[in-house]
Amino acid sequence: MKLELHKVKVSKLAWGDKTAVRDGVLFVNKEELVSMLSEDERLAKVDVELAMPGESVRILPVKDVIEPRCKIEGKGGIFPGMVSDVETVGEGKTLVLEGAAVVTTGKIVRFQEGIIDMSGPGADYCPYSQTNNVVLLLDPVVDLEKHDHEAACRLAGLKTAAYLAECCRDCEPDRVDVYETLSFRESMHAYPDLPKVAYLYMLQSQGLLHDTWVYGVDAKKSLPTLISPTEVMDGAIVSGNCVSACDKNNTYVHLNNPIINSMYEHHGKDFNFVGCIITNENVTLADKKRSSSYSIKLASMMGLDGLLISEEGFGNPDADLIMNCWKAERAGMKTTLLTDEYAGQDGASQSLADSCPEGDACVTAGNANEVITLPPMEKVLGYPDEANIIAGGWDGSLASDGTITVELQAIIGSTCELGFTKLGAYTI
Amino acid sequence: MVKEIERAGLPVVHVCTIVPISLTVGANRIVPAIAIPHPLGDPTKPFEEEKAIRRHLVEKALKALQTPVTEQTVFND
Repeated sequence: MKLELHKVKVSKLAWGDKTAVRDGVLFVNKEELVSMLSEDERLAKVDVELAMPGESVRILPVKDVIEPRCKIEGKGGIFPGMVSDVETVGEGKTLVLEGAAVVTTGKIVRFQEGIIDMSGPGADYCPYSQTNNVVLLLDPVVDLEKHDHEAACRLAGLKTAAYLAECCRDCEPDRVDVYETLSFRESMHAYPDLPKVAYLYMLQSQGLLHDTWVYGVDAKKSLPTLISPTEVMDGAIVSGNCVSACDKNNTYVHLNNPIINSMYEHHGKDFNFVGCIITNENVTLADKKRSSSYSIKLASMMGLDGLLISEEGFGNPDADLIMNCWKAERAGMKTTLLTDEYAGQDGASQSLADSCPEGDACVTAGNANEVITLPPMEKVLGYPDEANIIAGGWDGSLASDGTITVELQAIIGSTCELGFTKLGAYTI
Repeated sequence: MVKEIERAGLPVVHVCTIVPISLTVGANRIVPAIAIPHPLGDPTKPFEEEKAIRRHLVEKALKALQTPVTEQTVFND
């Protein structure tokens, strides 16, 4: 499977009569976009705003962030099973508006949405302070059921991302990145001197609006399976998650998974990257046992030497992570775990809910309980009062002058377990 | 909480869904529960059946509380 990502650089947003990119500026026809989104009868009011890096703008409550992409050559369409037919994706050419993002907002579960600051100290912790954001302000009709509200916001975001890219499909790319995954018949014989390594990609699937979708299938209802990394780049995995903001994998991060990108970089040099297994994080012990055993069985069938495992979320998914770890290690595969920590505001508490002696190689994206003060912004898109109930905030988080004091947990993507963060640290 | 109450001299039964976490934390008497969103019942079942599930769990926990243990013990059916 070979996929070319045709990247058109976007360094600024502006309103325009026609949605198009010119000289790095993405012009957005607001009327056309609002009209398209307003067709959804579940939404009572739709508005669109623009937010760019460095501006004194705060966005909350944020649900998801999506990168504008569309297929320009090859089978299928972007976000298959959601806004396109369920044809297999991951081959051909895909246009990417690099530097642009669609941000969906709305009071859905309320304590499980997040904050984006486009400048100030909060911006350092949020990868989406660096993207040029088309912000969708979506208000539901009265008494809309929560799952329907989530679905309406999710579809609005995906439709907008597809629409923006589709309007620019004839643009000349600034850069073309090529990714290729060989068939098993070829990859198993490639690089015989290098260890065979795969990626075990854990997807949040606890239900109660903690959901991830694969080709339109609810991940909790599927056994672990194989996926080509290039399918992920074409939107085969979509976030439907209303869960703590800091370490849920937004659709944007799935599309730009840094683990996949890094594994491609090391492929053929340090190891043979042979594929990707997706698994879920369900809510019964039997499910956790079944999914971890099945994932490691697939890994064993592939004859792997090593497995890189990323978690999504925290708490009981730590048990899934740990089961995946020791089952792989005991099957003879080395593992590295990617997670984050909830070690308390003083950093002194146990970081994960579970552990095992085999888990001796672990990368952390930081302590989500760390407290940060976010100074007031000139403009707030959304509902600032939500800071008082958001996970990581508390009653009184929002001061009268607009200052917000919260744990990093409340900032979208601040401790992303796929490593899509801007900050790092070294142990001295 | 389980460990602190036991430290004070009272036996504790930890009724919980994710048994491995309870084992890692160090609970001594563990009764497996139904699911994380509904540990002590199952709202997908008819009321009478659900009531029976709840009673069974409580009775099992009470029995576990009275059972002497020498090591971490999971009380399966």
